[in-house]
Amino acid sequence: MKALLDILAKVKPNFEKGGKLEKFFPAYDALETFMFVPGHTTKSGSHIRDGIDLKRTMITVVLAMIPCLIFGIWNAGHQHYLALGEFIGLGEGMTEKMMVGAMLVLPIVAVSYGVGLGIEFAAAIIRGHALNEGFLVSGMLIPLIMPVGVPLWMVGVATAFAVIIGKEVFGGTGMNIVNPAITARAFLFFAYPSDMSGDKVWVDTTLNEGQKLVDSYTGETILSQAINNGEKFVGTGGEPLSTMDLFYGFMPGSIGETSTLACLIGAAVLLLTGIASWRTMFSVGVGGYVMALIFNVWAATPFMTVEPFTQLMIGGFAFGAIFMATDPVTATQTNTGKYIYGFLIGFFAIMFRVFNPAYPEGMMLAILFMNVMAPIIDHYVLNANIQKRMKRANA
Amino acid sequence: MQDLVNIFIKGVFIENMIFAYFLGMCSYLAVSKTVNTAVGLGFAVIFVLCVTIPVNYLLEKFILSAGALEWAGMPDVDLSFLSFIMFIAIIASIVQLVEMLVEKFAPALYGALGIFLPLIAVNCSILGGALFMQEREFETLTEATVFGFGSGVGWLLAIVAIAAIREKIRYSNVPAPLRGLGITFIITGLMGMAFMSFMGIELG
Repeated sequence: MKALLDILAKVKPNFEKGGKLEKFFPAYDALETFMFVPGHTTKSGSHIRDGIDLKRTMITVVLAMIPCLIFGIWNAGHQHYLALGEFIGLGEGMTEKMMVGAMLVLPIVAVSYGVGLGIEFAAAIIRGHALNEGFLVSGMLIPLIMPVGVPLWMVGVATAFAVIIGKEVFGGTGMNIVNPAITARAFLFFAYPSDMSGDKVWVDTTLNEGQKLVDSYTGETILSQAINNGEKFVGTGGEPLSTMDLFYGFMPGSIGETSTLACLIGAAVLLLTGIASWRTMFSVGVGGYVMALIFNVWAATPFMTVEPFTQLMIGGFAFGAIFMATDPVTATQTNTGKYIYGFLIGFFAIMFRVFNPAYPEGMMLAILFMNVMAPIIDHYVLNANIQKRMKRANA
Repeated sequence: MQDLVNIFIKGVFIENMIFAYFLGMCSYLAVSKTVNTAVGLGFAVIFVLCVTIPVNYLLEKFILSAGALEWAGMPDVDLSFLSFIMFIAIIASIVQLVEMLVEKFAPALYGALGIFLPLIAVNCSILGGALFMQEREFETLTEATVFGFGSGVGWLLAIVAIAAIREKIRYSNVPAPLRGLGITFIITGLMGMAFMSFMGIELG
């Protein structure tokens, strides 16, 4: 550590004003603050002394996603072996499954971080602002909401699109209007639908010499099964799935989204540290539950008959509610607004997935839609408050 | 009844004038700096659409389309080549009426809307609405009116949403060349992507 600090201190003059590498100061600054707590203090205005800063916040969110990532890696391997009919038991072949999963998932993570951080560095240098840590979260979210079979170049293109159009043109972290990870997912979803939906992309079916797929193989996600069969779900190898299986996440789907349990561990971390808003999370759940209940009563298509709690466990609902709806930048800023915002996300998510067979992933679309609508909600919540206080003042 | 709800929902979300057809972009871009004026213009557009579409519907049904003049004893006459010019004339006169009403009853809004109120006359979404009405061959006058109302509400939703976003990003550090219209176009694209979530929804 001491040696590292010395090196940093030694090269620092090169990056400061007048140094020959002056232009690259944001990059140096990012590296320095990434590894050591900087000695800067605010020069004017309020001085709040607290251990939490942007960097700590972002790292906590990344840590909260680690259970999803680890489960996603294992599940990618598990689904692969289910398709081959090997190691069918949950406890069998742990090492093999982790190995296969890591081979599938880690490249996606690497591409997402590589492309995104590259663009962030470039933007910081060109525009001369400090490098922000916001991308640490987006860069982890992007792989977790991709299907296992997504080609790596698509991850790169989508990340570039999301970081440039979704974020940098607005001025970087904290200024964007739509969540960059959702933007990346939606971009791929609309631009390359065949690689982002259907039943070919959710399970890795690369075969080695002498291997073959089991006869009962199905690569459909739970969402597309629900459209035709209602609540009779089967796993990759054709085995029936119980509600608990759905809760633990032993099913095909985007890498990080399948396990509601892993998402809930993340939720616990976020809520205990006070980083994510419990109002948003709670009201997304309520909104989804209410809509699912309405559909239950209506019961016009097989999808509508799915139990409300099951609806909340399948697809990306839990993951979206916990990690993406709570994005403090793109969500509503007011507390009342958060209830409305969350409720509508849950409500629209279930509505889209039931009404729109072409777009089964309603959660992503609902969050994207509500990101766009969030400023209106805030505007009217604020205005209502102003009116209320005016009335009180005048009375 | 279900048909009417369908037409309305379709007009607001699925076939949104701005995000699905990119109609009425000029006033959408120009008057979306603050939410309050955007709401005012949005309601003016709803009103104009609600009046012009039924009037144009009657015009189409009883005068312009082929064989429409049967009631006057001229079943062979086809005046449909006149529809563009007639629709525009109707729209222009009704906009004139709206302008006088707004000036009389809401002078503040009249000042804020400025040149864009008379420009509703050439707002593409109004003529677009009339032409969609002609193309979709609605059965009844009520259906045409509901379609007009739905499209208007969709337009209002779009302009209010972008106005709120533009108010929010006022302090964002947008690169200098993109400030103003440039970033607004980018936001519109992102919003269009969000509205794509409604495409393909089939109602009833």
